[in-house]
Amino acid sequence: MRALLLALVAIGLPVAASAARNVVSLNLCTDEALLTLAPQRAAAVSFLARDPSLSVVAAAAAHVPAVGADAEAVLALHPKLVLAGRYGAQAVLAALRDTGVRVVVFGEPRSFAGIRAQWQALARVLGVAARGAAAIATMDAALAPRSAPRGTAVWLQPRLVTAGADTIEGAVLRHAGYVPVARSGGLEALVADPPRLLVLPAMPRFPSLADAVLTHPALAGIPRATVPMRLVACPGPWTAGAVHLLQ
Amino acid sequence: MTIRLALLLMLLCLASLLVGGAGLGVPPATILLLLRLPRTVLAVVVGAGLGVSGAVLQGAMGNRLADPGLLGISGCASLGGAVAFYWGLAAASPLALPLAGLLGATFGGVALFGFAARAGTGLAFILAGIALASIASALLALVMALAPNPFALAELGDWLMGSVADKTPAAVMLASVPVAAGCAMLLRLGSRLDALALGETTAASLGFDAAATWRRAAAGVALAVGAGAAVVGGIGFVGLVVPNLLRPAVGERPGALLWPSLLGGACLLVAADLLARLAPMLLPLHAQPRLGVLTALLGAPFLAVLARR
Repeated sequence: MRALLLALVAIGLPVAASAARNVVSLNLCTDEALLTLAPQRAAAVSFLARDPSLSVVAAAAAHVPAVGADAEAVLALHPKLVLAGRYGAQAVLAALRDTGVRVVVFGEPRSFAGIRAQWQALARVLGVAARGAAAIATMDAALAPRSAPRGTAVWLQPRLVTAGADTIEGAVLRHAGYVPVARSGGLEALVADPPRLLVLPAMPRFPSLADAVLTHPALAGIPRATVPMRLVACPGPWTAGAVHLLQ
Repeated sequence: MTIRLALLLMLLCLASLLVGGAGLGVPPATILLLLRLPRTVLAVVVGAGLGVSGAVLQGAMGNRLADPGLLGISGCASLGGAVAFYWGLAAASPLALPLAGLLGATFGGVALFGFAARAGTGLAFILAGIALASIASALLALVMALAPNPFALAELGDWLMGSVADKTPAAVMLASVPVAAGCAMLLRLGSRLDALALGETTAASLGFDAAATWRRAAAGVALAVGAGAAVVGGIGFVGLVVPNLLRPAVGERPGALLWPSLLGGACLLVAADLLARLAPMLLPLHAQPRLGVLTALLGAPFLAVLARR
């Protein structure tokens, strides 16, 4: 997984420093794409990009100005292009479009095929199609063949939310040989009918009730695996690393 | 009355152990011992603390609106708990959470009783309590908005409305010991409250100093409410409703109301939590409603009927 990340970083390295920094990203997922594919063009990224528990580009983001969803602050950077997510801050995006800035919105892929399509589109928008293709090739090389069937797995998220089949977590589980199951009914339902594997996020640095429930002793009897949140929070080539951890 | 309430509480606890997300009936041992028993114990303990605290506050203040929730003592305790939780103190030491709750409740209690000593226990006292409760909930929202966790703000509801679901047995123990100590302290105030009901001068002539009674009441209420609110959040209404609900059956003597209010508070909270768990089975809900919502829905109509009489 480390080799995969290094390979992805290397894609972005041999770059002329002269290009104008005129792309602003307002969403963690586009932050990661921007800083992986065209770091030399990044004028600002969101503050979440600096959080190493969520972001795979935390080190690179530390050297880029952070910006919030604030139209005035974004316009002050004179961007040619603003990258944003599908949810949140829609009013800010509308205001930016009104002033003539090009705003491109990306959703979150829910499968590895979706990641390939998304990264092709991202690389095209950033004008680095070759680098996009290289990132996808790195992911495909890192993605080992599907594992043999191994039973059910529940991907548990904070607040006891369980990931359904049509999510990137579901895709990771299927590739690792598990049948993803979603559960409602809380802790009790989970303990009453335990899966073969419980996948949990790595504990964040700061406590919350949402995370506290994941350490309840009633769950101690179920085999578990831990996957860092940053590998799936935004699906990207690095998500192949989550499959590795479960295989 | 006390015996009947105790029987009702036992029945409710039994039902509480047989209902949950895993379905109806006797669950496997893990679920019974690690999930349902802590939940039931916590509801009993927190409810008992709130019920008896309401009865003592109403007796000591001679004001039927006195309630740890309405007057902000629960709010101050939740605030203390939330600060300890989100800023990492609770992770550093398990004792930090109940201690911070106690500290918050003590601060609230001292502020309120101090106000009562200067300005009396009438309408102004209730207004001062409501002001304290507003400050506590505003500070709680502020603390959580500033907390370094993206989920913190979404959890504001848990702290304002309360929840006993999925707490660990260790957390239940940490809350139960101080609450039990507080209840024991408050239950011994019966004769002092009876004397105080005759007026401060009469009480003094009987050898009961009003200021000393208030000090003991404040300390007992802080213990009985503080650690509970630090673990489950602020559950309103129990302390207000239960004594008012039981007074017609028990009589006006404040001392006679203590045990029934303790048991009645426990009954109300276990019943509300039972309903919270049944709600997703009966209604098209994806999650269990918060406990404070149900205590208000269960208790408020009774209070309205009583107020009309």
